[in-house]
Amino acid sequence: MKKVLLKNIENPDSALLTEYMRVGGYKNLKSAVKEMTPRDIIDDVKESGLRGRGGAGFPTGMKWQFASMDPKFPKYLVCNADEGEPGTFKDRPILEKNPHLLIEGMVIAAYALQCSRGYIYLRGEYPQAKVILESAIDEAYKKGFLGDDILKRHFKFNLSVYQGAGAYICGEETALIESLEGRRGQPRIKPPFPVNAGLWGRPTIVNNVETFANIPLIIEIGPKSYAAIGNTACPGPKLFSVSGCVKRPGVYELPMGTTLKEIVYEHCGGLVDGRTLKGIIPGGLSTPILTPDKIDCAMDFVNLPKAGSQLGSGAVMVFDDSVCLVKVYERAMKFFEHESCGKCTPCREGTGWMRNILGRIECGRATAEDVDTLIDVANNISGATFCPLGDGAAGVVLAFVNNYRDEIDYHIKYKKCC
Amino acid sequence: MITITIDGKKVEVEKDTTLLQIALAKDIDIPHLCWDDRIRPFGGCRLCVVEVEGYDRLLSACSTPPENGMVIYTNSEAVINARKAVLDMLLIHHPLDCPVCDKAGNCKLQDLAYKYGSTESAFKEEKKHAVSAESPFIELNPNRCILCGKCVRVCWEHQGVGAINLIDKGFNTKISPAFQEVLDCEFCGQCVDACPVGALGSKPFKYMSLAWFLEERDNICPYCSVGCTITLNVRERRIISAKGVKNKGVNNGDLCGRGRYGVDFVYAANRLTTPLIRENGMLRQSTWDEVMQYLSIHLRKIIKTKGPDSIGAIGSPRCTIEDNYMLQKFMRSVIGTNNIDSDRFGYAKIQQAVEMTFGLHTLPISLNSPLDKDVLLVLESDITSTHPIWGLKFIEAVQKGAKLIVMDPRETKLSKRSSKWLRIKPGTSQAILNGIMKAAIDKGLHLKNKRSREAGNLDALIQLLKAYTIQQVSDIAEICSREFTEVIDMFLKGERRLTAITIGPAENNKGLGTALAASNMVMLLGDGPQALQMPATYSNTYGMWQMGITPDYLPGYEKITDKPGKNIFKMLYEKGQISALFIIGEDPLITYPDLNKLEEVLGSLDLIIAQDIRLTKTAEKFAHIVLPAASWAEKEGTFINAAGIRQKVNKIVEPATDATPDWKIFRNLSRAMHHPIGMDDLSALKEKIHQIKLHIGDEKWNYVPVPYEEMDPPDDDYPLLMVSGNIMQHSGAFSVMSKSLSHVFADSFVQINEYDAEFFGLKDGDIVTIESKRGQAKTKVRISDEVSRGMVFVPLHLKDSRMSELYVAYEGFAAPIIAVKIRK
Ligand SMILES: Cc1cc2nc3c(=O)[nH]c(=O)nc-3n(C[C@H](O)[C@H](O)[C@H](O)COP(=O)(O)O)c2cc1C
Ligand code: SF4
Ligand code: SF4
Ligand code: SF4
Ligand code: SF4
Ligand code: FES
Repeated sequence: MKKVLLKNIENPDSALLTEYMRVGGYKNLKSAVKEMTPRDIIDDVKESGLRGRGGAGFPTGMKWQFASMDPKFPKYLVCNADEGEPGTFKDRPILEKNPHLLIEGMVIAAYALQCSRGYIYLRGEYPQAKVILESAIDEAYKKGFLGDDILKRHFKFNLSVYQGAGAYICGEETALIESLEGRRGQPRIKPPFPVNAGLWGRPTIVNNVETFANIPLIIEIGPKSYAAIGNTACPGPKLFSVSGCVKRPGVYELPMGTTLKEIVYEHCGGLVDGRTLKGIIPGGLSTPILTPDKIDCAMDFVNLPKAGSQLGSGAVMVFDDSVCLVKVYERAMKFFEHESCGKCTPCREGTGWMRNILGRIECGRATAEDVDTLIDVANNISGATFCPLGDGAAGVVLAFVNNYRDEIDYHIKYKKCC
Repeated sequence: MITITIDGKKVEVEKDTTLLQIALAKDIDIPHLCWDDRIRPFGGCRLCVVEVEGYDRLLSACSTPPENGMVIYTNSEAVINARKAVLDMLLIHHPLDCPVCDKAGNCKLQDLAYKYGSTESAFKEEKKHAVSAESPFIELNPNRCILCGKCVRVCWEHQGVGAINLIDKGFNTKISPAFQEVLDCEFCGQCVDACPVGALGSKPFKYMSLAWFLEERDNICPYCSVGCTITLNVRERRIISAKGVKNKGVNNGDLCGRGRYGVDFVYAANRLTTPLIRENGMLRQSTWDEVMQYLSIHLRKIIKTKGPDSIGAIGSPRCTIEDNYMLQKFMRSVIGTNNIDSDRFGYAKIQQAVEMTFGLHTLPISLNSPLDKDVLLVLESDITSTHPIWGLKFIEAVQKGAKLIVMDPRETKLSKRSSKWLRIKPGTSQAILNGIMKAAIDKGLHLKNKRSREAGNLDALIQLLKAYTIQQVSDIAEICSREFTEVIDMFLKGERRLTAITIGPAENNKGLGTALAASNMVMLLGDGPQALQMPATYSNTYGMWQMGITPDYLPGYEKITDKPGKNIFKMLYEKGQISALFIIGEDPLITYPDLNKLEEVLGSLDLIIAQDIRLTKTAEKFAHIVLPAASWAEKEGTFINAAGIRQKVNKIVEPATDATPDWKIFRNLSRAMHHPIGMDDLSALKEKIHQIKLHIGDEKWNYVPVPYEEMDPPDDDYPLLMVSGNIMQHSGAFSVMSKSLSHVFADSFVQINEYDAEFFGLKDGDIVTIESKRGQAKTKVRISDEVSRGMVFVPLHLKDSRMSELYVAYEGFAAPIIAVKIRK
């Protein structure tokens, strides 16, 4: 497949406007603004079947339609570039190597949604991306792709970068909005949803970096051709960030629905010689781990849930037999404990509790009773938290305990790794 | 209306509510820790979860609105298990130090743990050891905190302060002032009442008593005229602490710092316990018999030799209506004079304006008045300090979408929450009002309403207002004319307008002219007197006026036409007008202006009787006889609040030794003078008051055009305008007696802008002399951007400042602001 999202990134100057335009950049913006009405664009995005790449897989066209139906103005456009989920680094190449693709996608979206103000909420730990994005935005302003009179069509859209302070929860869209407003990053009660009452109480469209990066392609090839890429239920190109025990970890652009097996064994060169596969987390740390027998599963929003996990952000983490999964999950829980925003009781208290127990199992101080408590605590968190972070933390623990009970029991019995 | 099914019962409900509110209204108990009806739902504690058919997860009732046909279970197994799980998790961090916690017995967590049977958590790890931030008033104990966030949201959303927040995240979250600095807020204690557990406490009440030993007794707050109900915790006949209780009183559980922490004035060290008599220039202890005999002889002698009109009295807005009624009865029937007045520097101006313009003898406010308005105009009035709980309604109105316009050189809580704040020059509200009226006339708005057109003196008003163009008023008030135009448009476009002004005796930035201009404006716009809110000051200022503590009105606002008495300007500031003075519950030397003149007149009197709960400065220096009165908590009676609502004051504790209720002192004195006035007991007195017919006057509109004047314009010698007022924690006589309140601000100070401070070479904390044309006073400098350039602000009524020496006793229309200079 021809690369779209990662087009031209081998070119060391790919982030420059001239380079981007040399390979056809911003021509989709021009045709969108000159030949299409906002309504046409929303319809096309709907028809394309694009689903959000931020994790939840919400149909983008539908989100846009809700926002455009709200009569309140001004409306805000926000790009979620918080990319904080462990294992996920798929937005980074776009931000650093192809920033104009994101900007072009956002300007098209702004035109379709009649937003005059946009923000890119950037992960605090991406300082380099900030510099690159800001200089790309500058270039776009100079060329008239951003500003008060874009392409001389009396269409106005101003864009700036806002850097987060490093809290994972600020990737959740309502916490992100709180943070943008200058408050403590904690999720808000929904409804109202951001499309109706988001930033400063105004209709706000929040989309992931990769989601926006797909928009120019839809304009270019039309919704029908787009829908033919990959799995028709959730089509399009998809970035997979693969890490862990494979020969060639990295970010891969493949059609949605590529199987895990193909990703791991063909694109990433398989495991280190002599090792056997122990498990794969398919979509970032907050998606449940899959056992090796599920490796034929297609990586998309439809098939992974059937296999007991989720596509999430498409961050594939591969573990072979040299890895202690108890250690992995103790570390994972440290992350959730640290990143729990503290708003709701089950997550704030429960993640720390689970981390404690996992820590005890790992260092050989746990009893069999501890595992029951762990399951209990996880069950009590599940379905009781305010936002998906806590739910996710409990979900991955339950999947781990259910699938790898032997390994846990071995730790408890022999006080060491198997 | 929609229909939902809750625990098998079908109910009709409004759409705009939550499942929790529906359940609570139907007496279905859903435990909840982070919800409070004063603030927006938070959904954090997860204790209120319920099962809703069609959802695979439990929903938090506090944040879920009902939908037609919803089927809800509040007590299913899944719900109970989830509650238990949440409680279990809450106890993870909790130190369970109930035996040393002041909240024990009153703690929601304790109650719930008891109910759901988990007193111990399955959690066996280490507890949290967070370090608490410091604060002089509020005790923070983050280890007991369950992080429901109520305190944070009450402080910001409801109280309008925002002094505390949750900091850090996850397991380490804790509540704290910004940057973990020392908590420096207005110390209202609202967060303490909101806290469901013992994580926030009041230092003045710390370790005083466990909840089980306390008896709860309600009383009406003795401070301002809002008239909040305070629930006093009493142990062995001693008041231990105070709190607000939901659903009680006009305040519905809200209290400000004065009401909550100020009630300890009852136990002040300088309380009077016996009568005192002056002998050889010194006050010595006496007995009731001795002083009664002394008074009866001397008063009768003065009546005989100099006539009854050589005796005068000053009543008290802090005493009950019973006390004040008896005072005027005693003066009018036993002595035979109408020389009765009160602190005339505040509410009297409002009374006067209301009568001159609307033809009314009284104009109560309405405590909910801000809530149904779309634009609110507040002129140089720090309402959240003078009338704190009423002030909260303005914040609530803003939360609900009303526009708030504040005209004030000082930064106030309301200015911070306003839609538009103009920093006008001190004392220019009257000019501003004239400017708004001029703009309204230019737009023809004065012709819209028949009453406005037909009110008397319209032509004269129009004539006067010609000079008050936007440009001219902007020049007077030193504001930008474009902004002023914007504000006028915002105000005049409102469909339901409200204008609010306070004029307390401590406030010198508004005068009779301001009250008149505001009255003119509401008539001109056709909004009428209800659109103007000018509250009485103290707990019973309103009631005192109704009881005829004024030289020209009998009780019930019955006007005296034949022979009105002398007012305080005559009695206290003109030598030779009287030779004996009865002072009840006032300390003129501290609170009245023009100290030098005052001392001269008081020093010349033959007999001064000071009746008070403590030894006042005036009594100490001038009184011949000092009578110990029972305090507010030691007697029964009635206060009338600013809204005209009569509320019963209860006897909570026994009086300090010989202290006697004021009304009883007058009864005894009239008996001693062989001129009994009936009303032998309280019920007879109450009956008598009950029978008073109220003459509120016939509303008849009449414009009173008054040009804006400056009483004391600043010049090169006296370049700064000195504004005085109250601060949140202090409002006069009682508050300075309160040990807790004095903990925060005991000493007097002057606020000055940093530019002026630099110009005059002053540093924070410097001791300076402020000098006016009349006198001088020493105080401490506080540099603050709350005041604008060219002005200073001093709180009156603080201990040991002779601030009143700087002021003039002024009877005119202008705001009695004075020009001063300041030096080290
Ligand atoms: C705890 C949490 C963290 C999240 N982090 C991110 C993130 O880093 N980037 C992202 O795009 N979406 C993140 N999301 C998803 C967003 O809430 C939101 O669904 C997404 O930005 C919508 O964009 P999309 O429709 O384009 O996917 C997160 C959600 C949760 C609950
Ligand atoms: S589940 Fe609760 S505590 Fe955890 S991140 Fe979400 S809101 Fe915060
Ligand atoms: S005492 Fe009042 S102002 Fe201070 S933190 Fe508590 S609620 Fe806020
Ligand atoms: S201090 Fe009290 S009110 Fe504030 S968050 Fe903690 S428990 Fe809640
Ligand atoms: S608002 Fe007034 S009445 Fe209410 S507690 Fe405060 S001082 Fe007392
Ligand atoms: S009361 Fe509903 S979540 Fe706390």
